[in-house]
Amino acid sequence: MKCEHCTRKECSKKSKTDDQENVSSDGAQPSDGASPAKESEEKGEFHKLADAKIFLSDCLACDSCVTVEEGVQLSQQSAKDFLHVLNLNKRCDTSKHRVLVVSVCPQSLPYFAAKFNLSVTDASRRLCGFLKSLGVHYVFDTTIAADFSILESQKEFVRRYHQHSEEQRELPMLTSACPGWVRYAERVLGRPIIPYLCTAKSPQQVMGSLVKDYFARQQNLSPEKIFHVVVAPCYDKKLEALREGLSTTLNGARGTDCVLTSGEIAQIMEQSDLSVKDIAVDTLFGDMKEVAVQRHDGVSSDGHLAHVFRHAAKELFGEHVEEITYRALRNKDFHEVTLEKNGEVLLRFAAAYGFRNIQNMIQKLKKGKLPYHFVEVLACPRGCLNGRGQAQTEDGHTDRALLQQMEGIYSGIPVRPPESSTHVQELYQEWLEGTESPKVQEVLHTSYQSLEPCTDGLDIKW
Amino acid sequence: MKDSLVLQSRVPAHPDSRCWFLAWNPSGTLLASCGGDRKIRIWGTEGDSWICKSVLSEGHQRTVRKVAWSPCGNYLASASFDATTCIWKKNQDDFECVTTLEGHENEVKSVAWAPSGNLLATCSRDKSVWVWEVDEEDEYECVSVLSSHTQDVKHVVWHPSQELLASASYDDTVKLYQEEGDDWVCCATLEGHESTVWSIAFDPSGQRLASCSDDRTVRIWRQYLPGNEQGVACSGSDPSWKCICTLSGFHTRTIYDVAWCQLTGALATACGDDAIRVFEEDPGSDPQQPTFSLTAHLRQAHSQDVNCVAWNPKEPGLLASCSDDGEVAFWEYHQPAGL
Repeated sequence: MKCEHCTRKECSKKSKTDDQENVSSDGAQPSDGASPAKESEEKGEFHKLADAKIFLSDCLACDSCVTVEEGVQLSQQSAKDFLHVLNLNKRCDTSKHRVLVVSVCPQSLPYFAAKFNLSVTDASRRLCGFLKSLGVHYVFDTTIAADFSILESQKEFVRRYHQHSEEQRELPMLTSACPGWVRYAERVLGRPIIPYLCTAKSPQQVMGSLVKDYFARQQNLSPEKIFHVVVAPCYDKKLEALREGLSTTLNGARGTDCVLTSGEIAQIMEQSDLSVKDIAVDTLFGDMKEVAVQRHDGVSSDGHLAHVFRHAAKELFGEHVEEITYRALRNKDFHEVTLEKNGEVLLRFAAAYGFRNIQNMIQKLKKGKLPYHFVEVLACPRGCLNGRGQAQTEDGHTDRALLQQMEGIYSGIPVRPPESSTHVQELYQEWLEGTESPKVQEVLHTSYQSLEPCTDGLDIKW
Repeated sequence: MKDSLVLQSRVPAHPDSRCWFLAWNPSGTLLASCGGDRKIRIWGTEGDSWICKSVLSEGHQRTVRKVAWSPCGNYLASASFDATTCIWKKNQDDFECVTTLEGHENEVKSVAWAPSGNLLATCSRDKSVWVWEVDEEDEYECVSVLSSHTQDVKHVVWHPSQELLASASYDDTVKLYQEEGDDWVCCATLEGHESTVWSIAFDPSGQRLASCSDDRTVRIWRQYLPGNEQGVACSGSDPSWKCICTLSGFHTRTIYDVAWCQLTGALATACGDDAIRVFEEDPGSDPQQPTFSLTAHLRQAHSQDVNCVAWNPKEPGLLASCSDDGEVAFWEYHQPAGL
């Protein structure tokens, strides 16, 4: 039996036409035999959409960090790919149907709030309503995944602290939630640096496992039946989605199939003439609806520094830290946090954002002159809110006014410590067989590879 | 014209290798040369001869592409294809490598010291320009990584008196950078060359910039401040740079270097056609549309491509050049009568 979509002439056309049809056919239903002007307009919109190009040099990952094969895979992570899957769901061939799940990063929400002049919670509802009107089945936020990432980082730091010695250097622990930084560390820095990278997976990677493993089983679906999209502030998250192909826990399925930046989603929203009803974001637990957006404590990061610091202060020294005091050092993207007692510095943590601070940190680390126990590393100056996928103007510079607005919005989001989530504790038991089980190590931790960069042997005239 | 540039002496500086670059120390008493043999040689006079006084051979594992002296003359920086920049400290009669700057992903093409001596710039095939800050303990910190160029960056040079940095690139552009807050930003892009820009040089006042290119032209750019009386539009408080003169038709191959004499204002070029040329601005020409005359043209200055020309900072008319033939030549330039 054929559905109404398959009987239309357009079904035999090229996929880009199908994508175009898909966008317009939700909400405002065009009559059969749409006018030529209408078709031309839709086509124009599609081409404008398709022309939104991704330049990896916009984030930290540069040409030498991305292979040709990866470049091809990255180009498939576009709005076009997303819309294509949505369109397949409207065909009558159910074997091609996918359950569409979208997870939204907390740093993306201030972008939509600023863009639509809404509170963060209302912006998330607007976004969720729009995505569902397109045909997305579930919309989650990634905060619960960040809970796992931070909790595992906390445990890892305490373990490293106890094991650290002059002979076996386990510190400083460098965070690994930023894919641009991880890619650079693997491809360019290699072996001297890789052992210091925290093995806890990033929130996006954890979210991929939550959706394709836990949620899939909950819904009685195989992982391949789910198409998982992450909405993120930067382009490097697309690189991270490729990394998830390394996982063996999902039967070879990728945890995240497609990453779209905030800007790419906003572009789809602006080009769509759908009338949208706001809808509350879903949770992985059917029993409740979360009413307010929450985040972890951090200045536009995922919050690893603040929460690891508090945990370490308590676990290692019995100190309860209420407020984290960041001291800016040589520039506004390098901050230090210390735990002092009786005039003695017990813990020294740093936040190093942006390539120049990464370089200085690396040089000091190599010389054994880096005085920190822990460094939160982010590729983007000013952190994740400044991801090129959302804080960039037309001419490729940072939109400072927008960034400042987003920072204000983000700081107004209520903070939740990861330890306070009862759902996370339940998942540790229900999904991962306990907080210290082998499955935790398998699902929530990763390893890093050193790929020696090739050197041009030719000494030609430069 | 033929007698305007006279050979003083020639030395086989980097035998069996290319000699890539030359740099005079601030007092004009020493000349550093570097080349494909991975060595840096320091030349000084004894009597009437140029003698190799030091060989710096342990710092680099590949070609040394450029060298630069600090404004105080006590340090020498060397940029190498091994992706590092070495900082050498001058002792009584020798040089000691005191630090190695790492971070560029591949070949470092150029290095330059700011006039204050507190900042150093490097550029690379990785398309980036780095600004480093030096502290009192000879520690170098990266203060900015600039990714404005879309290709290989060939050269960096500082303004003679201000903290303004210029870079030349394989992307056919020249870019200017200045400090903004605690970071550095690209404040101007000079477009017009049709091929790789190999070198750039500020004039003595710093208000003009010369660039030379694979397109066989030298372009002269002029800085226009906001509110200038010529009415040249500027965006915000940043100056505008405009091309006010193009020297074309003189060079038959790639121009690899341009040097603007800080003492006399003479402009020397190093060319892939083995020649050295000197130009001077015509005395009565319009400052907004200056014209330059060719005042010296020495064919076969070297037996292969001329890679670099460098005016002595203290002795007017003393010009050094180097070549793919591995030689360094010293020339005396005499300004023709009537200029």
